[in-house]
Amino acid sequence: MSYVPAPTLRRLDHRRSVSARRSRTAWFFLAPSLITLALFMVWPMVQSLYFSFTDYNRIQAARWVGLDNYAELLGDSNVWNALGNTALYTAVVTPVTVALALAAALYLNNAMAFRGFTRTALFLPFVVSLGIIGIAFSFLMDPNIGLVSHWLSKIGIVSEQGFLSDPKLAMGTVMVVGVWKNVGFYMVMYLAGLQSIPEELHEASRLDGANTFQRFRNVTWPLLSNQTMLICILAATASLQAFDQIFVMTHGGPYFKTETLVMLIYRSGFSELRLGYGAAISWVLMLLVFALSMIQVGYFRKKAVTY
Amino acid sequence: MFSRGARWRVGAPAVAVGVVLALGACAGQGTSGSSEGDGATAGGTTTLTFWHGMTGPDGPAVQQVIDAFNASQDEIKVEAEPMPWDVLYQKVLTSVSTPNGPDIIAMSSSNVPQYAGKGALATTDDFYASSTYMDTSPIADTAIGASVFQGANYGVPFNISTMMLYWNKDLFAAAGLDPEVPPATWDEFEAMAEKLTIDENGDGKPEQYAIAMADSATIPTYQPLLWNNGGGVVNAEGTTSIVDSPESIEALEYWVSLLRDKKVSPIGLAGADADKLFQTEKAAMEIVGPWMTTGFEEAGIDFGLARPFAGPTGQDTLADVVSLTLNANVTDAEKDAAYTFFAYWNSVEGQTTWANGSGFPALRTDIPAADLTNKYSSIFGSAELLDNSQVYLAGVPNAGTITDSIFYPALQRVLNGDGTVPEVFGQASKDIQAAIDKG
Repeated sequence: MSYVPAPTLRRLDHRRSVSARRSRTAWFFLAPSLITLALFMVWPMVQSLYFSFTDYNRIQAARWVGLDNYAELLGDSNVWNALGNTALYTAVVTPVTVALALAAALYLNNAMAFRGFTRTALFLPFVVSLGIIGIAFSFLMDPNIGLVSHWLSKIGIVSEQGFLSDPKLAMGTVMVVGVWKNVGFYMVMYLAGLQSIPEELHEASRLDGANTFQRFRNVTWPLLSNQTMLICILAATASLQAFDQIFVMTHGGPYFKTETLVMLIYRSGFSELRLGYGAAISWVLMLLVFALSMIQVGYFRKKAVTY
Repeated sequence: MFSRGARWRVGAPAVAVGVVLALGACAGQGTSGSSEGDGATAGGTTTLTFWHGMTGPDGPAVQQVIDAFNASQDEIKVEAEPMPWDVLYQKVLTSVSTPNGPDIIAMSSSNVPQYAGKGALATTDDFYASSTYMDTSPIADTAIGASVFQGANYGVPFNISTMMLYWNKDLFAAAGLDPEVPPATWDEFEAMAEKLTIDENGDGKPEQYAIAMADSATIPTYQPLLWNNGGGVVNAEGTTSIVDSPESIEALEYWVSLLRDKKVSPIGLAGADADKLFQTEKAAMEIVGPWMTTGFEEAGIDFGLARPFAGPTGQDTLADVVSLTLNANVTDAEKDAAYTFFAYWNSVEGQTTWANGSGFPALRTDIPAADLTNKYSSIFGSAELLDNSQVYLAGVPNAGTITDSIFYPALQRVLNGDGTVPEVFGQASKDIQAAIDKG
């Protein structure tokens, strides 16, 4: 047994109690968020996982059905249709939103008249409920009383039955609304990224004779990698969960042409009272979101930067 | 420049946010729990919460009857909570099993099987079994029978409405037609429609349509057309899909061609859009119930009302029945109180107030014509109309799924030229049969 002088022990004790106190304080500060997350996120998740193995319908007690719901959804043409629509929506809306947000941020990072106003105008849709936006666009796009329909008809674009009930145009229309809603938010994130790039890097590249495009290509774009990763993940996640404006504007129609996975979850759960089946579809969506996010993290990790 | 730590600092929260948002979509199941209903019994007064969707011009008439009932005695107090029908159906599911749920829920008879089959509603067989509460024989049989599901009745009639053809006399006159003579047959309709569908600027989109026919979120418009050609969506017993019978297919092909080739109505209308088109004089005809009379009058439309035009084999119209249903969790005392209210609603006094205030037909057949001062009540409640009307999908399980997830999407598909009627409705018929068999 080795001899430890008393003062050292006291010091160790003291250090331990300080760190214990610190972590206690940290937990204390984290508690409100953790409790909220546990109650309103984790617990519903656990419950929905359980319900996905049952025939729960909100009225009767849930009955365990094992993997029946998952087996059924594999052969359900509605699920495949919704999956296809969701994939299409995500594949179009995510890159378009990110590209437009970057373009807007680059443009509005320059000194110009009405810069604050333009930034605010672009950001504004983000703070408005997507449901309200959906209602407003439904009016604007109405084939008989809509302002947008009227303007488009002046330049020869006539949709006889309206953009939202035309199977060829409905998806494009809800996509436009989805992009318009989120561009401003991602633009602000990009603006923050642009402003954190040290000016001396731009200066150095200018001294090296780089033109505007070269400076963007070799300085700005690589240094925005962190923002791009976050924005891509957020944008893809939001797209995979497209619901609000579709619910309001087309309700998934005409004939399921705009029915995304979340719309289908809603229809299964709340219209057809099959909450267990809806929960199973939502877990498929959850795995999709998780997998896609992991792939994105894997891709962008090589490009992550500190400066 | 790479930092292993940095990627997770950004990546992990993003993934967490994504995961959490994904589940937001399916959160809200909550916990199920039994309840005693919220009909509070305090100081000898039983309070009943009553949800209904009569939010239009007919709303005040509902309240008038409730106020009269509440004033007529002091043991029972009915508190009505009107809300749009779509909101009501969404809320019913999440509230029937909670303590704050409604005691009495008005719902379209076609929705009764969906909730009754899952045990959300109490049967009302004992209401009809004796004359304790009222003698139910003067109430129209169609209205009582509409809420029967698997041999048990789950409702008491709240209202019945028949669909009539509204036509705009000014537009008929402007098209060179007799403003007093609406089409009486499909052939007459087709002939008149050619004059009433007008494309002024030749862009292929008519500025005025002959009729406004909705193909989603609507009172059934196309289904009676199938009946009048000897077809239908399901057979009379509600056990077999007949939407692919030769008669149904023939009727559908005829009407789809009228819409696609002759543009008699816009495609892709919801019920509210169709009403709006008639109200703004962009459509010369619409087949709809008595609730639109007020709106059309206020819009200054000079309209006439007639039995909808006859098909090759019949001239049936749709009768829409809304039933008063009971939360399965009500106590005996609440059930007794609710039955007392149901009896008042269906009394001569209650029905006279209702019919005169709303223009809906009275549910009782024994109210003297002289007491019905609202002309629309007698027009929509005429024996000729009621005797030649059918209730759509009464007692059929999964009626909502059949209509909204199978029939209308199939209809929209063929109206948009995405497949032929026989192939699309052949598949729809299989899906409808599967929905019926699933119970």
